[in-house]
Amino acid sequence: MLRVENLTKVYPNGTVALKDVSFQVADGEFLAVIGLSGSGKSTLLRCINRLIEPTAGKIFWNDIEITAAPVSDLRKIRRQIGMIFQQFNLVKRSSVLTNVLSGRLGYVNPYTSLLNYFPAEEHQRAMNNLEQLGLADKAHVRADSLSGGQQQRVGIARALMQDPKLILADEPVASLDPVLAHSILKYLEQLNKERGITVLCSLHFLDLVHRYATHAIALKDGQLVFQGLPEKIDDAQFKAIYGQDAERVSIV
Amino acid sequence: MSDRAALSTSEVSRNSLLPVLLSLIIPGAGQFYLKQRNRGLAIFAVFLIQFLLTSWAFDNYQVGLLVISAFETNWLWIFLVVFWVWNVNDAHRLAQNKRVTNLFAMVIVALVVYIIAWQVTDVQLVRLVTRFGNALKIGNDLIHPDLFTQDASGNWVPSENFGYIFGTIEQQPPPELFVRLGLVSPTTMLPTYQAGKIVETIALGFLATVFSTIIALPLSFFAAHNVMVRVPFGNTIYYVTRIFFNVVRSVDTLIWGLIVILWVGLGPFAGVIALTIHSVAALGKLYSEEIEHIDPGPVEAITATGATFLQTIRYAVFPQIVPPFVGYTLLRWDINMRSATIVGFVAGGGIGYFVVETLRKSAYNQYAAALWAIAVVIMVVDFVSAKWRERISTGETQVQTGPRRPFYLSLRFWFYLLVGIAVFAYFWSLSEISLKAMLSPAPTLGQVAFGFINLNLDPPVVSDVVNQMLVTIFQALLATTLGSLVAVPFSFLAAHNLTGRSRLSAWLYYATRGLFNFLRSIEALLYVAIFFYWVSFGSFAGMLALAVTTFGLIGKLFSEAIENIDPGPHEAIIATGATRLQAIVFGVLPQIIPPFISYAIYQWDINVRLATIVGFAGGGGIGNLLLNDYFAFSKYRSAGTAVALIVLVVIPMDFASARIRRRLV
Ligand SMILES: Nc1ncnc2c1ncn2[C@@H]1O[C@H](COP(=O)(O)OP(=O)(O)OP(=O)(O)O)[C@@H](O)[C@H]1O
Ligand SMILES: [Mg+2]
Repeated sequence: MLRVENLTKVYPNGTVALKDVSFQVADGEFLAVIGLSGSGKSTLLRCINRLIEPTAGKIFWNDIEITAAPVSDLRKIRRQIGMIFQQFNLVKRSSVLTNVLSGRLGYVNPYTSLLNYFPAEEHQRAMNNLEQLGLADKAHVRADSLSGGQQQRVGIARALMQDPKLILADEPVASLDPVLAHSILKYLEQLNKERGITVLCSLHFLDLVHRYATHAIALKDGQLVFQGLPEKIDDAQFKAIYGQDAERVSIV
Repeated sequence: MSDRAALSTSEVSRNSLLPVLLSLIIPGAGQFYLKQRNRGLAIFAVFLIQFLLTSWAFDNYQVGLLVISAFETNWLWIFLVVFWVWNVNDAHRLAQNKRVTNLFAMVIVALVVYIIAWQVTDVQLVRLVTRFGNALKIGNDLIHPDLFTQDASGNWVPSENFGYIFGTIEQQPPPELFVRLGLVSPTTMLPTYQAGKIVETIALGFLATVFSTIIALPLSFFAAHNVMVRVPFGNTIYYVTRIFFNVVRSVDTLIWGLIVILWVGLGPFAGVIALTIHSVAALGKLYSEEIEHIDPGPVEAITATGATFLQTIRYAVFPQIVPPFVGYTLLRWDINMRSATIVGFVAGGGIGYFVVETLRKSAYNQYAAALWAIAVVIMVVDFVSAKWRERISTGETQVQTGPRRPFYLSLRFWFYLLVGIAVFAYFWSLSEISLKAMLSPAPTLGQVAFGFINLNLDPPVVSDVVNQMLVTIFQALLATTLGSLVAVPFSFLAAHNLTGRSRLSAWLYYATRGLFNFLRSIEALLYVAIFFYWVSFGSFAGMLALAVTTFGLIGKLFSEAIENIDPGPHEAIIATGATRLQAIVFGVLPQIIPPFISYAIYQWDINVRLATIVGFAGGGGIGNLLLNDYFAFSKYRSAGTAVALIVLVVIPMDFASARIRRRLV
């Protein structure tokens, strides 16, 4: 159970990115976060693992208060929360395998790992994850030699190395074409259904939300304007979230 | 180059009386009044500079002196009047909403600048002809370097000079260690290699690169904005480090050499220190910019996995910065090797010191031998450095099929490590490195430091320094212009994509490429000797020497710019039935003029730095003043003034040239 209470984020330049946002996510949900560009989706997801420090409000995960955790505990929390990014955020010059292994850094010895040493079982784990995502043969090529869809699968493999209980995905398919978008979201759906990993995923297209999410929230100018089942987002709701002039577009 | 005041046709004519009057009183004021603020300010600034230059050149060098019976005047004032008139007319046209252009004014100003530069640099073309005999004589020496002689029985053997340069094998008592171990008896003589000056040069360049990399690495993080915003007092540290890098970088290695010999004394060690100081700053700047440009995405992603700070640096930052850092270090190695060939002119050590001695003896065929040795070594270094850098930037080493074995398990690694340590130790001993000398500086160092803080601002000194700095700038300007203009036609011959397929053009390609590489492998300072023998000492000789290196450097850049053009337009124009020349004019020129101008500006920037030291070999300018008038007589306060002015000129030029280049490309 993830509980966000009165979360507010004001950036140093005065931008109010989140205003008093509260919601809950039960274990095993696939929660879609929607909203216009600049509505605060990325800020929200990054506050949850404190890549961004919230200005006010509390975040609880099970019994732990993430927002109150000291740095040493924060790392233990972070390693259970996988994160997937729009721009994949792979280290381009490193091999696919190294990128995947780096997802395990929170578990391995913090000093020997600096010499690029990972125990054999971690190598095995990385290869297993790559195999699941259909990338076993790419383990030793440079990350930037892969296509966009393949890179995002490496990003997922890296997150899986963390044995995550929760996955934060910030527009994981916004840089991909529609066919690849579906294949990536199907992986997330599979992880959600088969392993019971809770997924928080920001998305741009409403039909992707309808197709994959079990729950949805919507942000507008940093405020929560919708919370409920995806199919409840009707035309009136839609206009409230996206503005009066918005039209529904769909993705193949 | 044209702008229009306004495009509205409703306002066909405005009252132009006021702006015209304003511009008549103060150039640029009318334009300023018409809301063309930047144009007005630019016109005023150019007018002021032209005025100051014209009167400066007349007062100091009688440029433009016109004597009509008893009446003396300066005919260069005519250009100032013409510029003034142009400015009034410009204000009028602006007020009338007519089209205005800058071309005419630019030509006027350029004319004045070049006329002044020509006279101030003491260009005497006639000497090139009247003293052509000298050129033939030194040309003859250059193609007959003193490397081999015939011994008594008529065999060709290496000459004594060859030994100085490349080293000799001598019979020496064995090393003490061998004797102690009982390997040899103390009386046996062993053939031992005595390193020559060119080997010492290689040692200087190598050690300076190693040391400056080690020092610049940590410093560069202090000059990276994205790192410093995360630490307390980061902003202050950031600015201090930045300023330090820029100031140190703007002072040439050889000027540092002058200071360093007052610290540790003459010798190879002084050379190493001077090279290291300058390259720490140059590398530090490049490294820090690379750190500032890393992709923050992976840092975020690795942090999100719960990694520690050090793990994040290791896995998200290192892979991004190590390859470019290695690339810059290789580039710096190339540059340091070049500087190592001349650092001996002032600091001692390396082949530069040897060259000075040959010149003192007027032994030009010994000097020629040194030049050839330098050219060969530098061309090899240049080639190796460029090849390795290319490999790093394409990253081909990373493509592999299987898992990698840890590097410390491979035999190759240990082999290279051992060789590296042995080379390092050998070079260390050649360079006479002495930490003792470094930590107990000669008292002269305190005097220099004091002088550089208490600059001598007496009017005569300031006036001398400013005069010679202007000469230096003009020298660089003429050399850049001359070298670039001559390089243009050659650069077309050295561009693969335009020369066609005939055997002749292939031959010409390799010949021009070779010429460029050969000429640019030798530092300008080393060319000065050739030209002072030909046209005698002074800024003209220095200018010609700079022009030769410019030709080599810029010829290479130009030909690469030509090779990088998009072949599409050229092909399309050939397809219309145009001649090859027409295709070049319409399909190629528009693509290469911006990069050409950008490289020429860049080269001017480089040449100003180089021109500050051509005086160390008799090439005039501020280097001459600094070495022969100030340092030679321990006038450290005046020397401080000269160095301060160099910094004040070089740093803004560097910024301006970088900005102009960014806009052009
Ligand atoms: N580092 C920052 N400093 C200042 N303002 C920021 C910063 N990052 C984001 N913002 C601002 O905060 C608001 C919310 O940004 P956020 O990136 O969370 O939106 P988003 O919903 O993810 O948008 P997008 O769909 O474009 O990614 C925007 O107005 C943005 O300009
Ligand atoms: Mg976003």
